[in-house]
Amino acid sequence: MKEEVVDVTKDEATLPAPRDAAADGPGEPLLVVEQLVKHFPVKGGFPIRRTIGAVQAVDGIDLTVRVGESFGLVGESGCGKSTTGRLITRLLEPTGGKISYRGQDITHASRKQLAPIRSEIQMIFQDPYSSLNPRQTVGKIISGPMEINGIQPSGGREERVRELLEIVGLNPEHYNRFPHEFSGGQRQRIGVARALALEPKLIVADEPVSALDVSIQAQVVNLLQKVQKELGIAFLFIAHDLAVVRHFSHRVAVMYLGKIIEVGDRDSIYTRPRHPYTHALLSAVPEVNLDGTDEAQRERIRLAGDVPSPISPPSGCRFRTRCWKAQDKCATQEPPLVQISGNRPGHLTACHFPEEPTVEAREEDIVLDPALAALEDTQPKTGGAGD
Amino acid sequence: MTSPLETEGGGTPLVVDDEKEPAREPDTAQLEGRSPGRLMWIRFKRDRTGVISAYVVGLFFLIGLLAPLISKLYGKSPYTVYADERPELFDSAGVPVQPNGGMSGEFWFGLEPGNGYDVFTKLIYGIRTSLMISLVVTLAVVLTGILLGVSAGYLGGRADFAIGRLIDFLLAIPSQLFFIASMPVVVSLFVSPRDETPTYVRVVALILVQWVLGWMSLGRILRGTTLALREREFIEAARVSGASPWRIIRREILPNVVTPLLVQATYLLPGFVTIEAGLSYLGVGIVEPTPDWGQMFSKASTELVLQNDITYMFFPGVSMILFVVAFNLLGDSVRDAFDPKTAR
Repeated sequence: MKEEVVDVTKDEATLPAPRDAAADGPGEPLLVVEQLVKHFPVKGGFPIRRTIGAVQAVDGIDLTVRVGESFGLVGESGCGKSTTGRLITRLLEPTGGKISYRGQDITHASRKQLAPIRSEIQMIFQDPYSSLNPRQTVGKIISGPMEINGIQPSGGREERVRELLEIVGLNPEHYNRFPHEFSGGQRQRIGVARALALEPKLIVADEPVSALDVSIQAQVVNLLQKVQKELGIAFLFIAHDLAVVRHFSHRVAVMYLGKIIEVGDRDSIYTRPRHPYTHALLSAVPEVNLDGTDEAQRERIRLAGDVPSPISPPSGCRFRTRCWKAQDKCATQEPPLVQISGNRPGHLTACHFPEEPTVEAREEDIVLDPALAALEDTQPKTGGAGD
Repeated sequence: MTSPLETEGGGTPLVVDDEKEPAREPDTAQLEGRSPGRLMWIRFKRDRTGVISAYVVGLFFLIGLLAPLISKLYGKSPYTVYADERPELFDSAGVPVQPNGGMSGEFWFGLEPGNGYDVFTKLIYGIRTSLMISLVVTLAVVLTGILLGVSAGYLGGRADFAIGRLIDFLLAIPSQLFFIASMPVVVSLFVSPRDETPTYVRVVALILVQWVLGWMSLGRILRGTTLALREREFIEAARVSGASPWRIIRREILPNVVTPLLVQATYLLPGFVTIEAGLSYLGVGIVEPTPDWGQMFSKASTELVLQNDITYMFFPGVSMILFVVAFNLLGDSVRDAFDPKTAR
């Protein structure tokens, strides 16, 4: 692996000029999701099987992705991020709510109705080992979407595929090779090339780098960033890795148990978060501080327990069962997603008792886990966080 | 499908993870990937058992195919009643006078006691009949398995439930009994019991009953494979691009079920050969004078033949053992070649 991370962005000569996406204006909403709901029925019972409950994977989320913007969606495993991505690409049928693309309602559009939009919304998948058909050559995989949508680029499909391979940093001579002859990172590049084949306006990237090892992650993220900037494609970037999202996204939404609990521009979320869960999530990112003195100490929050079951989520605020600020009000009233005083415009938080907009160390660490707390008490404190 | 074979062959260099300096040497200008199918072929060719079995199996099919030509060169027909034509070769009971069932330079495998058919031509024509029926059954079973199995797996829900219960129901029927019991019934559907049954009716009936109870195992395997494939992300990628269900099945799923399909088919065919032989042995399959592999066993076990000409059993017996063993070994090799990770 000789390749350096910066390398991907070098060969700009091979890139076509940014397409007409800019004509729409960068601020225009491209994709608007309103009160999107997806419940998966849980069947059970004897002798007659019936629906006895529902996994409320996505439970009323609103989000807007603007033209040319990259929008990050973060949250821990099982919070409904991937379901949201699959709902937007219409791989899943929404239970409720509305998805509109450029003002056109596509919530329940059929395959034929979706046909003109299909080429504009594409997807990059998580697992590069399962997202490429092992029986097709790279050329066939990438030209497949063009074939389906009847696109005949000038110079032929093969020429276009070779061009795409070059854009994603692969040798165009790999046209006739099969997926099993490539490494994970290269496979993911093939996946990116396939998503680009239709010149989409929006790419839903569902954990595109989480299956790759760290050195390759950087390459692929840089490739996506290059694509995003130079082709003006809007991204809905779904990830659990906060560092990757921070690197990539203009705006970030934090999900918890099927709800968006905080959304805002990148700096607001990462440096001035208000929701306790965002604080906890950010403090969970391991930090390498070799000098130990230069940077301000970050706060430390250790949550207890697991995410509650999405089959019967807590009443009111969904985070209240793990929140250190929870009060009676949190159990009865669901906090609306609003702009709290002191927030920048567009920074919305769903919390009754928001935290201070800072990530600096607190007077005392918040350690809710009794086992962890006991452990920390016995150990001599090395950092200055709790002093 | 990853393969451990990248270092083999030497003709195509490995794709190195080196995109900084893409290999631009003239000898890599023709980068041709090796498809999973070609890798399988390379693996198969290295398996000596498999290659030998393939030759043996091929020889049987060739014999079956060329039976009329062989018997023409040999100068005899399986329908000639040598007890009438050459009565000097038989004693009063109809048993060949010469030892070992009358084996000689003229009649290589001897003559059949009773009617005095020529055993050699009877055997090659019998192989022809048996293999033809089994091939048709296999083909019908494969088509049905694909149709029902893949659609059950891909459509899911009600279709899957219905097909699944149909498979359960058919699997619950004891097949041997069903074959024996239903053969006369099926035959009587075509011909009135008082008329003489033409041979083709028996053939069609044999194919029908074996087909009805033969497709379920393959159907189940294909359903399972399709179910697993349906969740793979490349299917979702095709759906995101707007591919129709038909295109997804044809272009994405079918090429990926070829492996279990081919492996199962190579196991199924010898099974059908033995079932067909069994039915003819029991007298519900092909009957005299049409030559048939299984029917020769039936003939060999009659009192007349068993007591006077023990060598008669030898020819259909050995040839069938050879065929079935070779075909099963071939099936093993095909499976190993497709899926090198499975230990035997």
